[in-house]
Amino acid sequence: MTWQRDDPALYEQEKAEVEGHFPELRFVVENSLVYVRGSFAVMFEGQVLDRYSVELHLARNHPAGLPVVRETGGRIPRRDDRHMNTADGTACVLLPDERWRLWPPGSPLLRFLTGPLHSFFLAQTMVEEGEPWPFGQWAHGAKGIFQFYRELLKTSDLRVMTTYLDYVAAKKVKGHWSCPCKNGKKLRDCHFDQIKELRENISRKDAERSLSTLKAAGASAVEMTEPTSTVQRREATREESSG
Amino acid sequence: MTADEYLREVLDSQALGDESDEIKALQKHRADVEKLIRDNFKDTALTIRYAGSKAKGTMNKESYDLDIISYVSSGDNTAGESLEDIYGNHKKALAKKYYVEPKGSALRLKGCDPEDLGVDFHIDVVPGRFTDETLTDAYLYQSGGDKKRLKTNLDIHLDHVRNSGLIDAIRLAKLWKVRNSLPIRTFVLELAVIKLLTDKKKKSLSAQMEHFWTELRDNSANLTVEDPANPNGNDLSKCLDDNLKSQLAGAAKRTLEQIDSSGWEAVFGKTEKQEKVARVEILRRAAAVATPSRPWLPKA
Repeated sequence: MTWQRDDPALYEQEKAEVEGHFPELRFVVENSLVYVRGSFAVMFEGQVLDRYSVELHLARNHPAGLPVVRETGGRIPRRDDRHMNTADGTACVLLPDERWRLWPPGSPLLRFLTGPLHSFFLAQTMVEEGEPWPFGQWAHGAKGIFQFYRELLKTSDLRVMTTYLDYVAAKKVKGHWSCPCKNGKKLRDCHFDQIKELRENISRKDAERSLSTLKAAGASAVEMTEPTSTVQRREATREESSG
Repeated sequence: MTADEYLREVLDSQALGDESDEIKALQKHRADVEKLIRDNFKDTALTIRYAGSKAKGTMNKESYDLDIISYVSSGDNTAGESLEDIYGNHKKALAKKYYVEPKGSALRLKGCDPEDLGVDFHIDVVPGRFTDETLTDAYLYQSGGDKKRLKTNLDIHLDHVRNSGLIDAIRLAKLWKVRNSLPIRTFVLELAVIKLLTDKKKKSLSAQMEHFWTELRDNSANLTVEDPANPNGNDLSKCLDDNLKSQLAGAAKRTLEQIDSSGWEAVFGKTEKQEKVARVEILRRAAAVATPSRPWLPKA
């Protein structure tokens, strides 16, 4: 599948939008794959705060699939704590399950660049300056998935969480199934709307992957209580001082 | 702030200190590659050295490659009888850990594991053989082109750049190349800067750069460069063809227009040296209105 051949108008539109907004980025097609390469500007109020040399490899099923991002200037150390894969230098910009919030499937590529990608490099610059991650960070692997669903579903019960994921990953969901919240009611009489919303937002593939990762990790996924976001940190500090 | 103060700040912001993470990572890469080569040629007298911007002092933080030479002594055949054998045997040795892509006289290293297949590590290894016991001139194998053997001299190349008195202009030109995605080989760009600015060394940095771009804009069609280590034997005309000259002229024209209409900051961006606190404050303000997305690493 080569999206740019299947939909040349979309290719031209994405190219024009991205190159118009980021004049130092260029679309390149190599071996039927689309790359976006060049100097990525971290901007604020029209001012360039920083720059990174980047390469985005757009998915064959773009814009359904996520781009693979690399910082090609060698500036960001390839370390786990910088969210750079040590083996291949790819940047871990976001948790795929959270994609719908940041770059919903089908959205223009420009939205990815001005949204999560811009935030990723802005955060890298801040960390380089000795600042904490400005938006927080998910823990690595299963723990990060656990954190995400704990926030989303407002439960720390791994069994409840995996049942929710089972339902999101299922081909179909039936109203007579037991509700994952375990209150004994049928789904149709309880959290059916929530499940429907989750299924609209999170792809079955992502849910399946997260489910298997959580199941494989088991209790070890839960062995963490670190607040992850700035907001949570502030809340935790407030709780500590009031408690 | 004057244009020269501004350009100094641009260069400062692109500097890589010896203790920086980037340099440490580079040193580790070099150690890995050197070990791989030495383990494969245990009986060979090899000279392995940095050869690119690291050795020339022209590195910019925004984009750099790691160039490593691996030369065999003149009478040593243990790494291969012919230059082609030496090149091929280095390729085989490096292929144990990397996907190796022949690139002229160099071997570019890329990832070969399933998770990093084809990832460009920006490391070039240049195998060769010294011509004699003085360990100065060397022959390189050329995988493409008509001539299969190229005479070169790393120290002449390094000295040509290091002693040019134009390191700052070269670094700015390299940054300009990256910012404008210009497909010119860095070595050729360095030679062009030195050629066009040799009699402008006493000028200010901003005057040097304006002269460089003016020359490219107005006279690029006549621009030629010579390999200082082999002016007659290494034809660089293919590296500076009409199409590339036209691209350079166009980019130079745009750059001069930017300086004229919007000032120097339009060329390299605003790099006003802010106090650390002020910079962090701006970054925090930027973060406050940015999409709050959190990074995640798949592997625990």
